[in-house]
Order: sequence, then C-alpha cells, then structure tokens
Amino acid sequence: MIALADPAAPVSPAASEAKIIADLQATVSPSRLTLFLGCRLKFWFRYVARITKPKTAALHVGSSVHAVLKAWNKARWRQTPLTLTQLHEEYVKAWAETEEPVQWAAGEEDQEKKTGWRLVETYFRESKIPPESRPEAVEVPVEADLHQHGLPTLIGVLDLVQAGRIIDFKTSSTTPNPEKVAHTTEVQTSSYAVLYREATGRRETGIELHHLVKLKNPKLVLTALPPMSDLQQTRLFRLMEAYVEGLERQDFVPSPGMQCASCEFFNECRLFC
Amino acid sequence: MAIVLEANYAKKLGLPNFSSHQYSVTIRTELTDLTQVEEASTRLYGILQDAVDREIQHVGFMPDASTYGMNNGNGHPSNGNGNGNGNGHRPPAADGWACTEGQQKLILQLVHDHRLDKGEIETMAQQLFGIGVKELNKMQASNLIDDLLEKVGKKSSRGRPRWQNREGARA
Repeated sequence: MIALADPAAPVSPAASEAKIIADLQATVSPSRLTLFLGCRLKFWFRYVARITKPKTAALHVGSSVHAVLKAWNKARWRQTPLTLTQLHEEYVKAWAETEEPVQWAAGEEDQEKKTGWRLVETYFRESKIPPESRPEAVEVPVEADLHQHGLPTLIGVLDLVQAGRIIDFKTSSTTPNPEKVAHTTEVQTSSYAVLYREATGRRETGIELHHLVKLKNPKLVLTALPPMSDLQQTRLFRLMEAYVEGLERQDFVPSPGMQCASCEFFNECRLFC
Repeated sequence: MAIVLEANYAKKLGLPNFSSHQYSVTIRTELTDLTQVEEASTRLYGILQDAVDREIQHVGFMPDASTYGMNNGNGHPSNGNGNGNGNGHRPPAADGWACTEGQQKLILQLVHDHRLDKGEIETMAQQLFGIGVKELNKMQASNLIDDLLEKVGKKSSRGRPRWQNREGARA
C-alpha cells in the first residue's frame, strides 16, 4: 500500500483501492500497459489514485488531428470524400470540443492550432493512401479475451485498417528513428496485431506507423513494420503477465530517469513515501 | 438538338431478419425542347413509381432465419491467440450472428430503442463491408455499432468497446 504525502492532492474518492486494482487486472489497453512498464508509480497516480491533470497542449493537438483523420477516413469509407474546407471545419470543431480543459499560456492556443492544421495539411499532401481506396475499419474499438492464457482482456482502438495493414497515427515533436520506434512502440503494435487477429480471424499483412512531425516544416514519416511474429506475441503476453502480477503485489515503485523531467506527476512523485 | 431525359425510380424495403429487397426502373426519352422537361418529368415519375410499387410487392424467396447461412464452410474461429482461419469471417454462431453476443444485443437494442429501419442498417453493412449484418466479424460489427451510435446522436468514445460496461481505459 502506498500513500500520498500531500493529502490535499485531487484524488477521486469513489471506489476502494482493492476494487480499482481488481478492475485494472480484468482489462488492459496498450497505453495502460506501456505506462505500467514505464513507471509503476505514475501508473498508480493516474489509474489507482485517479489524480487528474489538465490536458497538455501536445495531447490536444494530437487528438484534434486524429479527429480530422478519422473524418477523412470515414468519408473515404462511405465514398463521400470531404473537401479541404470541410476537413478544416472538422478540425475547428474538434479543437473546440475538448472534454478536458487545456491550460494555455498567452498566445499559445492560436499557435498550436495552426501547428495542428499544418500537420493535417501535410498528411493529405504526403500520405500515400489513395483518396478513392476504401478502408477496412476506421477508429474501431476492439478487444481480445485472453483469459485462457491467464491474462486480462486486451482492449484498444485501431485508428485505420487498410488492405490488411494496421495503421496508427501519431503526432511527434521529433523525427522517429525507424529501428528505435519499432522497439519503443512494440507493446502497442503487438497489441493491435493480437486485437486485429482476434476480431477478424485473419493475420494482418503489416503494421504502419504514420508519424506527423511538428517541425518548422512539418513532415510525415511512414514506418512500415512486418506482421507480429510469434516471438513478439510471446513477449507481449509476458509483459501482460508482469502487469497482472505487479498489480497483485501492489508493486508501485517509481522509475526515476530522464523521462521524469516531463512527467505531469513530478511534484507528487517528490512527495512519494 | 434533341434533349435526353433520363429518369430513375428506386425503392428499397426492409424485410424480417435483417433482409431487404430493392427494385429500380430507369427510362430514357428524348425531348425536342426544354419547355417539355417539367411535364415529362412528372409523367415519368408517376409511371416509374407505379411500376416499381407494383413489382416490389412480390417479396420472392425469404430465407429461414434459423437455418439460412448456418453452414457456410468457412472453417474455424480464431482461438484468441492470433491463429485465425485466414478468411476473415467466422462461422455464424447458433443464432446466425458472427459477431459477439454483446455486439448482437447492442445492435438489436439500438434498432429497437431508436426505431431504426433494419433494411437501412442492412444496406449500411452491405455498403461498408459488402456483407450482411449477421455475417459481420467482431471488428466490422464494432465499426457498425460506432456508426449507429453516431446516427442516433450518441457520441462515440475512444478506448473501450461500446458493448461493454466496465471501467473505462485510455487506449
């Protein structure tokens, strides 16, 4: 059992810790698993203590860009393509419709809004996906019951499936290195492959990461990955096993490192006891 | 110069068990000048509608929902660890649906609660996936549910299959 040294921190009351942990053991998403593996204390702050933080500007840009890409893909799917003006309207709507407040510095919102739209324009200009081709699925929530393996139900959302390829959209401030990104996103990509196979009964033909990079001149970086191998699946299941066991032991130790500099729970972590 | 007027009348009607049928008639005629368009259009609309309405009353073959399509030889369902049958479609369950029971219930509940037209939903499935509602695999059914929720004004959310009601997760 761990506790916050600062009792005034905004912790959601409601459910008991034991109940919350039991629920977390029942299902897991790739992002939740990645967070647990990255820093268990951060996981505890977010999912067990349920400390809420304002949405970051980067996350808001990312979700607004995602919303436009979803609209574009849905329109391609229905064979009713959208014009650039209509897409811009979708972007403006998504930007305004945030469920969580963002704390903007003076002049920051306008700047970020422009950045986001430039990313969208870059995608439409540089994307290799023909506008007339039809997707297999667009932003679809899926799940895989892995209880037969002694594991939780895996849940997730596939951004786009096109001709058997699972495509994931990402916004980033740095250009991804293809080899490194294959490794750093493996929990997510393997999870998507498991989810796709379970939901369709088919093996994916490949996985693609579409990174929209927020540079002075934005660019699109496509990283093509092969279908998930048996080894990768085993590795994912081992990591899920570690997740279940870690939650069972309530093993919420911090992982101090470079990543702490940008962690939203930095102050809470300093008070950890 | 002759003016060609093409008129088409189509009607699609829903039938029990997510079936539907449709019929359309097209006619082309030549007019000598533009002043004849309005009158010709009214006349053709009446003729075509009568023709379609008369024919579409004959429903023709209707499958037995308890047996039709139950033995399609598609192989075996995925075992959940990624080893699927390679054709993307599971054999329908005993009640004829290939998606999960939860998805099936949610689709039927949406149809019932919002008085949706089953024929229209069947058409949606055909247009998006090229197959009927009952044949949709889990992924396709999930996407259809998302569309239906949008249609009835319920905003879709990321991260959690809609046919479940457990704690949310960030995906």
